[in-house]
Amino acid sequence: MKKWICIICGYIYDEAIGIPDHDVPAGTRFEDLPADWVCPECGSPKESFEPYVG
Amino acid sequence: MATSNPVAGRAEIDGRIFNPYSKDFIRSPWATWEKLVLEYPVAWHKDLQMWVVSSHDACSEMLKDNSFTPNFRAWENAPPPKPEAEKNDFERSLDHGLFAVDAPHHLRLRKLALPAFSKPVMGKIDARIRDLVTECFDQIGEPEQFDAAGMIAEKLPVRSIARMVGVPTNRESFFHDFAVGVVKSTRINLPPKERQQAMESTLPGFAYFKDVIAQRRAADHPGEDFIGSLISAKEGDDRLSDYDIMAMIQAVIVAGSDTATDLHTYAIQGLLRNPEQYRLLRERPELMENAIIELLRVGAFGKTPQFRFATQDAVFRGQHIRKGQPILLNLTAAWVDPQKWERPRELDITRRLDGNIVFGAGAHFCIGTYLVRVQGGLMIGELMRRFPAAELVDGDGQVEYDYTHHNARRINRLLVKTNLKAQRKAA
Repeated sequence: MKKWICIICGYIYDEAIGIPDHDVPAGTRFEDLPADWVCPECGSPKESFEPYVG
Repeated sequence: MATSNPVAGRAEIDGRIFNPYSKDFIRSPWATWEKLVLEYPVAWHKDLQMWVVSSHDACSEMLKDNSFTPNFRAWENAPPPKPEAEKNDFERSLDHGLFAVDAPHHLRLRKLALPAFSKPVMGKIDARIRDLVTECFDQIGEPEQFDAAGMIAEKLPVRSIARMVGVPTNRESFFHDFAVGVVKSTRINLPPKERQQAMESTLPGFAYFKDVIAQRRAADHPGEDFIGSLISAKEGDDRLSDYDIMAMIQAVIVAGSDTATDLHTYAIQGLLRNPEQYRLLRERPELMENAIIELLRVGAFGKTPQFRFATQDAVFRGQHIRKGQPILLNLTAAWVDPQKWERPRELDITRRLDGNIVFGAGAHFCIGTYLVRVQGGLMIGELMRRFPAAELVDGDGQVEYDYTHHNARRINRLLVKTNLKAQRKAA
């Protein structure tokens, strides 16, 4: 399971946790999020995310 | 009331409907905002000569639409560009700034700045500024009452941002004047002469930062602070230029000093006006981050929050916006839009804030958002710890506004009654 960071706002999407509050179950891979999914913090598109190691 | 207009189908308003400079509006903007969001969500303001976008939906959509840019140079009445050799440090930094560069360059700048300001480094920010918060409250001491505007809001944000950037923290007026000068230099609601004077007033600040950058570049190690991390930042052989760095510094100073001043007064006002929410936050400190966003939303201190400029002719929500026309993104009206929020003026620190645009949205989402949250959280935590029974003097803190402030409903007096004596007596 990987983590992804939004370059615009710094929000971290953790595949292991998902975003249960937003109907994204734990274990959802970033690639499997819908193409029109946006960062829950700043509304930026998927392309604003990069793999995060930290 | 729809007014007659020379452009067919164009929704229009004027100063009778929305005058952001009137004292009545500054004291109580709520009815005006409600009228705008419900009746004129997108309208041309005949007196201000700009579009005003007010509803939550419309603001949210425009924030995420890159064809509406915050780049002042895209304004139809912007001063003509100068040859490179004739530009001063302000103009060069403006060209290198987050509002001006193209999308790929913008992402590059955000990425390079991320280590200094992202959520993962919140703990680091906390450690860097905690002593400033303690010191600020130590200076307040244990009086029966104090002025939160003068003792906290005017001091803490500017000292914190100086610490974050990596420069001395005892130069409040230097940073304050620099931040105000930078903002006013591109405020399209000001006369050109005033913009020019504001721009000239920033030049000593830019010269100062240029020297600091040169000293850091010459040192064995550029340092661990914001300036140091920007100097060290690299992607392959790509590094930030002096003007890239100065543009970032001025952006965070503007966001972190002048704007954050209002966060502090309005957060204190919001909590002390709502004692049950103040108590709830003391009992459930895990609500702090949500509380700060909610306090900003309900406080809604912006007067003329943000501008955008159309980069091409566009039809936006049925209105024809011409290339180069200015747009006031009336975000503070959107924050209390009853179509988005139930009981919009009620402070509820447990409220679900999904989809809020308190820190903007999209590419220009506030870069200092986590600094603001950490700083605000530390300040409120210390206020609750030292003055758990605090109230506003006479119920309203004998509030006074700076009616001439360039873009905020700036509070310059908010008296807080500490109730320390009564508390000790009761104990």
